Amino acid sequence: MIDPMTMLAILAMAGVTYLTRIGGYVVLKNRALSPRATAVMEAAPGCVLISVIAPDFVSKNPADLAALAITLLAATRLSMLPTVVIGVASAGALRWLIG
Amino acid sequence: MAARPAESEAMSVSEIALAEGKAANRRGAEFRRGLAAATPVLLGVVPYALVLGAQAAQRGLSVLEVPLMTGLNFAGGSEFAAIQLWTSPPHVLLIAAITLLVNSRHFLMGAALAPFIRHLPKRQVFPALFLMCDESWAVGLADAQRRATAGTRPAFSLPFYLGASLAVYLAWVAFTTCGAALGPVLGDVETYGFAMAFPAVFLGLLRGMWKGFAAARPWLVSLVAAALTYLLVPGAWYVAAGALSGLVAAWFLAGET
Repeated sequence: MIDPMTMLAILAMAGVTYLTRIGGYVVLKNRALSPRATAVMEAAPGCVLISVIAPDFVSKNPADLAALAITLLAATRLSMLPTVVIGVASAGALRWLIG
Repeated sequence: MAARPAESEAMSVSEIALAEGKAANRRGAEFRRGLAAATPVLLGVVPYALVLGAQAAQRGLSVLEVPLMTGLNFAGGSEFAAIQLWTSPPHVLLIAAITLLVNSRHFLMGAALAPFIRHLPKRQVFPALFLMCDESWAVGLADAQRRATAGTRPAFSLPFYLGASLAVYLAWVAFTTCGAALGPVLGDVETYGFAMAFPAVFLGLLRGMWKGFAAARPWLVSLVAAALTYLLVPGAWYVAAGALSGLVAAWFLAGET
């Protein structure tokens, strides 16, 4: 049920991923940042988040683009759960309507 | 006279027990608050987990190997990428390199978290960082930023973070396994609109981090750079390209003032 090469690949993935998880903390834990570096680190979380979802902003599916616009509007006004429900519902409905 | 020290000792012991009971209650409440904060996130995680499990099974991974991967690695983006490149037997170095590329954003995420978890002992930090994924990191960091603004100390609540991240972890491992077991029965869950849950969660988190348009200019640079890279360059480079462009923009914009 568990192939040795598969196990090796999984362990390699797990090791690499764990190093990326502790890397930033290990490098920065004992360091005071300059004001400029602080400004960069303050921008970092948003930059990562928006980059991960950037492909959704250039989707070739008009239904998904419209649903994203609705979700964006919902996010500016509502809390997390209603935003997600509106996002999923509008994407489902618009895909069904205009495919 | 002899009774007095014993009495005061008994009192202090009961006081300690009471204080510990209160602390445990607070930890429990914080843990449950974390679970609750993760609930909307799970709407996005579960469909992705089912799809990943089904795809992995199609590529020949067994129902045991799938939870082994998703439980030990626990980073969805890299698992999707690895499955796309999976051969029998797999190219271990290629898989490891792609995993590093897709997960390089964790360096930035850990760095952003560092000032909030600096005071915690390493024996708590290193296991906690194992559970750091996009969702648990963003929910944990947003909560720490909110508490810091409100003046709550410590700003970072470890039990809150553990509640949120364990909920995501268990859902990810359980539902990737279900996906592998159910496989072809599922069909394409993307058609039901659940794909929008992921950007919706992220937009909600960005809204929580919003500090005015000026502070958000690097985000806009990231969005444009990541979108262009996604359109022009095959593979997962767009996350790294977008994040780095935003950081460079933040560096230059910080020089303005």
